[in-house]
Amino acid sequence: MFGLFGPDARRRRLLRKAPEGPLRDYLSVAFPARRSDWREVPFVALDLETTGGDPGRDEIVSFGWVCIDRARIVLSSARHRVLRLSGDMSPTSAVIHNITDDESAAGAPLETVLSEFLGVLAGRVMVAHYTPTEVGFVAAASRRVYGAEILTPAIDTLTLATAAARREHRRPARGELRLANLRRRYGLPRYPAHNALSDALSAAELFLALASERRGPIELGMLMSPA
Amino acid sequence: MSSVELLEIRDFLAEVPPFSLLEDDALGHIVDDMTIRYLRRGNAFPPEDEAEAQCYVLRKGAVEERDDDNLLLAKYAEGDVFDAAEFAAGGGQFRAVEDLLLYCLPSERLRACRREVPEVDAFFRRTLGERLRHARHRVADRVLFRPNLMSMPLSSFITRHPVTAPPGASIREVAGLMGNQATAAMLVVEDGRLRGIVTDRDLRARCLATGHSPELPIASIMTADPRTLGPEHPAFEALMVMTRRGIDHLPVVDNGEIRGLVSTRDLLRWQSANAAHLAMLIRSCDDAGELPALSAELSELEIQMLAGGATAGQIGQAISSIADALASRLLELGQARLGPAPVAFAWLAGGSQGRQEQSTHSDQDNALILADDYDEHEHGAYFEALARFVNDALNDCGFRYCPGEIMASNPKWRQPLSVWQDGFRVWIRHTDETLAKVLVNFLDLRLVAGAPELQQAMAQHVVAECRHSERFLAQLVENMLANRPPLGFFRNLVLIASGEHAKTFDIKTRGIIPIVDLARVQALAAGITEVGTVRRLHACVAARVLSEEAASELEEAHEFLGLLRIRHQVEQLRDGQAPDNFIDPERLTSLERKHLKDVFAVVGDMQRTLAVRYSAGGVSA
Repeated sequence: MFGLFGPDARRRRLLRKAPEGPLRDYLSVAFPARRSDWREVPFVALDLETTGGDPGRDEIVSFGWVCIDRARIVLSSARHRVLRLSGDMSPTSAVIHNITDDESAAGAPLETVLSEFLGVLAGRVMVAHYTPTEVGFVAAASRRVYGAEILTPAIDTLTLATAAARREHRRPARGELRLANLRRRYGLPRYPAHNALSDALSAAELFLALASERRGPIELGMLMSPA
Repeated sequence: MSSVELLEIRDFLAEVPPFSLLEDDALGHIVDDMTIRYLRRGNAFPPEDEAEAQCYVLRKGAVEERDDDNLLLAKYAEGDVFDAAEFAAGGGQFRAVEDLLLYCLPSERLRACRREVPEVDAFFRRTLGERLRHARHRVADRVLFRPNLMSMPLSSFITRHPVTAPPGASIREVAGLMGNQATAAMLVVEDGRLRGIVTDRDLRARCLATGHSPELPIASIMTADPRTLGPEHPAFEALMVMTRRGIDHLPVVDNGEIRGLVSTRDLLRWQSANAAHLAMLIRSCDDAGELPALSAELSELEIQMLAGGATAGQIGQAISSIADALASRLLELGQARLGPAPVAFAWLAGGSQGRQEQSTHSDQDNALILADDYDEHEHGAYFEALARFVNDALNDCGFRYCPGEIMASNPKWRQPLSVWQDGFRVWIRHTDETLAKVLVNFLDLRLVAGAPELQQAMAQHVVAECRHSERFLAQLVENMLANRPPLGFFRNLVLIASGEHAKTFDIKTRGIIPIVDLARVQALAAGITEVGTVRRLHACVAARVLSEEAASELEEAHEFLGLLRIRHQVEQLRDGQAPDNFIDPERLTSLERKHLKDVFAVVGDMQRTLAVRYSAGGVSA
């Protein structure tokens, strides 16, 4: 997935090209080793609300994140950040995210929030439900703000759930892999998905449930690219 | 700051005691200091890998607690809270039986919160008795409308110094004095001591009507050594004493020192639709056909008293006193119809009426003791007719026939004193499970009308027999163990000792009756003749057979259950349903459930203690 030399080698290559500042600081911290016991690895569960599905064209509306240390979700680390958008929000996404133009206008610039988030992400592995969105939008944001590439190792709870179904020789039913449905399947409480932070918290709890499900010692690598 | 966003967690905790007692800000700070863990089923609980002690809130999943013999002690689910300190205190082994999602707060942080918020500290620190005392106010609060004047002390109803006369004063002098002072009652006092009381009614009935000379001393017609109460007693109690005895005046005496005189009128001014008023109407009713309409007021009385903040004990006393008044009046009306009773008798109430713990929906339990000059041939038909008249009329008044036929109209329970005494001797000495179940009904008998000496002779006989029959007491304990309280609650269900769940529980047989039974057995073992549960508990403490703490816990538990039961029945009446004893845990607050669980634990512990003492119920008891 990350080529011959693994993600940490790629990180060091990107570090050499990164401009001075938050991106460089982020890339200068080593990624957790894939052989580590997952319980010892620090994570940050991230959820982004966006104006659409295309990282190249659409914008991030809000960030929600919460850290996981030693297999415990640390609530004091939970953050919710609403961004100031360059264009108007489309009416439909405003309805979905419960964020109005006014709130958005009072929000923070992408640069500020991205820098804060990268400070948290350094040395951690990202957790999200369906990572292409979070990884793609963070990469696009990096290009836009720093004019440079970023690398964010991530664990996808959707991929983990698919693999779990496969281990049971099942093909997941339609809709089963949606966050809310997976949470129900794993006996987690029903949370109203009211913003990016509640979705990040939802993903974090689902991640704990999925990772705890497997017996024996589990290495980080097994969760990043599950068999 | 972050917590403002964590509504999922905050809203949940806002419903969970003790966190529900926190202000918004404080709750937010608690959320900030929490972590969330996931624990797989099968693991020991609490997780063994925590560096510092934690307080755990179960967000999802279930935990079982079992003792060393793998017997289920309790089961916990969403909303249950454990502080690590509880585990150190001993108890059983805890294990996750479903995957758990846990909200964890460092115990140190909870301690800090207790230091800062007195309500949270109180939640943990109060003894069980105190917690329940606190809790019962909240039970009534749900329907509370106004303060309860009836709980005010008698001292606040005394408006002036009582009019007094020496015992040697002539009846004429006393009558004149009463007229001058415009008082309907006067105390007879000698050397500062209360000797008797005289009322308007006495002057009429004992002097004018009988031709008794008004020149004779007042002592010749006074009621000597009248019943008194201390100034600290609640007005309610005075009302009950007067209602029960059919009197209108009660001297208030503080350690022998006369403080004043209260009348029903003084007290009635405070509460118009009340027990005494109703009892007065019943006592003056000349037509048995009108009594059902009067009895129909009972439900309203119960609702009013609950709303007025009365305790379950007070409500039980009030309803029992009305039932007493009904039975007494019916006996009078019966005799008016059938002629005066040919031999002396004592009409006794049993069951909840006997214990003065009646609710408006109780069945009747009664019995008749006849003097030993009773002759079956000569008097049998008379007493059968009298008993049937009273039983039928009580049934018409809403006190339904006893399904077990424990009524004076049943010839078995209408016997001369000596037959009763012989019967008890045999039954107690040769008891078995079924016999003991029937006999229990006669262990709570109380005189309602008739000759007190008959009732006393029987009560003393019964207590003396019981006290010395270890076997009978053991059988009572054995029977008591058939009604064990639930273990607690699991989600919205009731957790039963077998590990099963039920939707509702019977608060009477699984809660109130076990406490009644516990008090009865211990009182009988100590030779105590009192019949009320609370009186028995107090007498047990005085006799040093029960610790003050245990008695206070049982008393509070009894009161808490009683209040929950009355509230439940009042709510059913309000909703147009027939009242029953089945409580649905879903309709209780989480705090009430917690208190109920405490109550179950107290009752269960006491049952086990007695089971061991009488080696009843097998080893696992």
